[in-house]
Amino acid sequence: MMRPALSHGLRRLKRLSIQSRLLLIGLPALLAVAVAAMVWTWLETRHEINELLDAHLAQATAVVVAQAGVGHDDDFTTAPMLHRYQARVAFQIWHHQELVARSAQAPAEPLAPWGTVGRSDRELQGQSWLVFSAGGRDADIWVHVAERASTRDEILHAALRGAMLPWLLALPVLALVLVVAVRQGLGPLRRLREDLATRDGEHLAPLPETDLPTELRPMVQALNRLLARVGQALAQQRQLTADAAHELRTPLAALRMQAQVALTHPDPAQRAHSLQQVMDACDRMTHLVQQMLSLARLEAQGPASAPPAPLEVQAVTRQVLAELGPLAVAQQQSLSLQDQAPAWLAVPDWHLHMLVRNLVDNAMRYSPIGAQIEVAWHRMDGRLCLQVQDSGPGLSADEQAQLGQRFRRGAHSGSRQQGSGLGWSIVQRVAQQHGARITLQRSPALGGLQVQVCFAAAAPPQADSAA
Amino acid sequence: MRILLAEDDEALGAALRTGLTAQGFAVDWVRDGHAALREAQQAVHEALVLDLVLPRLDGMQVLARLRQQGLPTPVLVLTARDAVPDRIAGLDAGADDYLVKPVDLLELAARLRALVRRAHGAPQALLELGALRLDPAARAVWLDGTPCELSTREFDLLHILALHAGRVLTREQIESHLYQWGQEVSSNSVEVHISNLRRKLHSGVIATLRGVGYMMPRQIAPSAP
Repeated sequence: MMRPALSHGLRRLKRLSIQSRLLLIGLPALLAVAVAAMVWTWLETRHEINELLDAHLAQATAVVVAQAGVGHDDDFTTAPMLHRYQARVAFQIWHHQELVARSAQAPAEPLAPWGTVGRSDRELQGQSWLVFSAGGRDADIWVHVAERASTRDEILHAALRGAMLPWLLALPVLALVLVVAVRQGLGPLRRLREDLATRDGEHLAPLPETDLPTELRPMVQALNRLLARVGQALAQQRQLTADAAHELRTPLAALRMQAQVALTHPDPAQRAHSLQQVMDACDRMTHLVQQMLSLARLEAQGPASAPPAPLEVQAVTRQVLAELGPLAVAQQQSLSLQDQAPAWLAVPDWHLHMLVRNLVDNAMRYSPIGAQIEVAWHRMDGRLCLQVQDSGPGLSADEQAQLGQRFRRGAHSGSRQQGSGLGWSIVQRVAQQHGARITLQRSPALGGLQVQVCFAAAAPPQADSAA
Repeated sequence: MRILLAEDDEALGAALRTGLTAQGFAVDWVRDGHAALREAQQAVHEALVLDLVLPRLDGMQVLARLRQQGLPTPVLVLTARDAVPDRIAGLDAGADDYLVKPVDLLELAARLRALVRRAHGAPQALLELGALRLDPAARAVWLDGTPCELSTREFDLLHILALHAGRVLTREQIESHLYQWGQEVSSNSVEVHISNLRRKLHSGVIATLRGVGYMMPRQIAPSAP
């Protein structure tokens, strides 16, 4: 039962504003310092007052003893009252055990028992007294000087009132100063919040990095880097949308034109031809939309949270090639997969699907009728590489440099097969997401293009290795 | 052959009805999920062509309810969702076949005929692929009108490829089909039988994709190219 309450309390503590945190720590600390200072003043003042007054008392006793010894007189005297504080002081002088002089407030009996020397605390007439006693040289003279104990407390209290008053006045002022300082210190944060709050989704300009406290600068810099990345992604997305609209408009125009020809042309052969063109335009658009969806799906995906289960690449590749096979047969192209031992990769299967499909689709598209396309997986320097090579025309250095620019099609596309211009972007995106390296070269075996994509190999799944 | 078509898009629905009618089907066309469910429950149709995205009641729900009620009508699902999990979900929910939009009219008609044949327990229809004719009941094959002598295994292999003409079958797929037909075939023997078939008929009858699989074209030429 305690635990939920405790964690709830901790959560509330974490949500506490920075201002409250600073005040919560600062104000009690200020109060503690003030109390400690007052206690210290109290102890120190009391000690000093006691020392001083004890010394005075002792001094007075000594003086009286000396005078009593010099001027010998048997007359009994009562000393006159000269100061208002005198009421708190008393003395007695005894000679041969007879009281010869005393102050007005002193009693007739001895202030301290016979023979007492130095300070003693006595109770007389219901009040506490401090008594100092001393004898003469021959012990014939005996002097007691007494002082009411409450006197010292009154002095102490007066001294303390003087010392504490400034503290009590200063405490609220200091608290106020603390609050203002905290407010002032948090000012840059508040201004940052206001700047961010007024922005809409379009306004991605960096925040000013000058005139910032050192604590805030790294945060604002990180925020600016994020804003830059978001802005870049947004610009890319807009470019893609604009390009896509353009790319879709062209086949749509062709579609409409061919359909119109089919509707209006008197020659049945021409009508059939136009309708076939309509079908082709539809297929092109279907392919284009498919590729755009694939790319959008790839780009929408952030970094994987957990690596996917290892995937046997040979089987997935065979599946994709089987799907592309009918087209290869129709184009009289020979499509083959080199037999290999099973190998595993930790990538989602649809990523591998898209990678193989686009590489092989490109090879088929840009190679002539009757061409050879060979696909193989092999291990190289501890990495697992997909290799797709063809007997097509290959790519010049210029064309290689232009690869991956969206909607830019290969120069050899000719009239036979038109690509979407997105295939290579998809290949690059998949490779990038899995840290794979792409290399292009002339195929030593077939003479056309050879593309190689190298991944870090994954261990086979547990069940397989145990079997 | 009377079929039920559930498709909410006017243009696509009209084209499908016209096209399938021309292919010899009697087509009842409904435009939402509730109507599809109501009509299908009459059980007068031999097959249902079901679009997955329908107003009022999703195609998947229509399918699930039909199967809950134990309706045996074969269902071919049309989907714009081509992601693999969607296809698997459709088949798991009780679809007998699926096609991803845009669909080819001739392929749709062929698959519907196959579905209906299978539902009637009569998969033994005569298969004609250009110059090649195959009679599963008589276990006879003609190329260009001339009968061909084939062994039992060779005939089964040719039959499997003919049933999936136009699609590449991997060796594993061929083996699993043969296994379902009660035959144990080693992978080597598939290759041997294929090469025998190519020799006895002609090389254009079966295309080989080395390391991938085999495919029979939909239109087979009368003689070797």
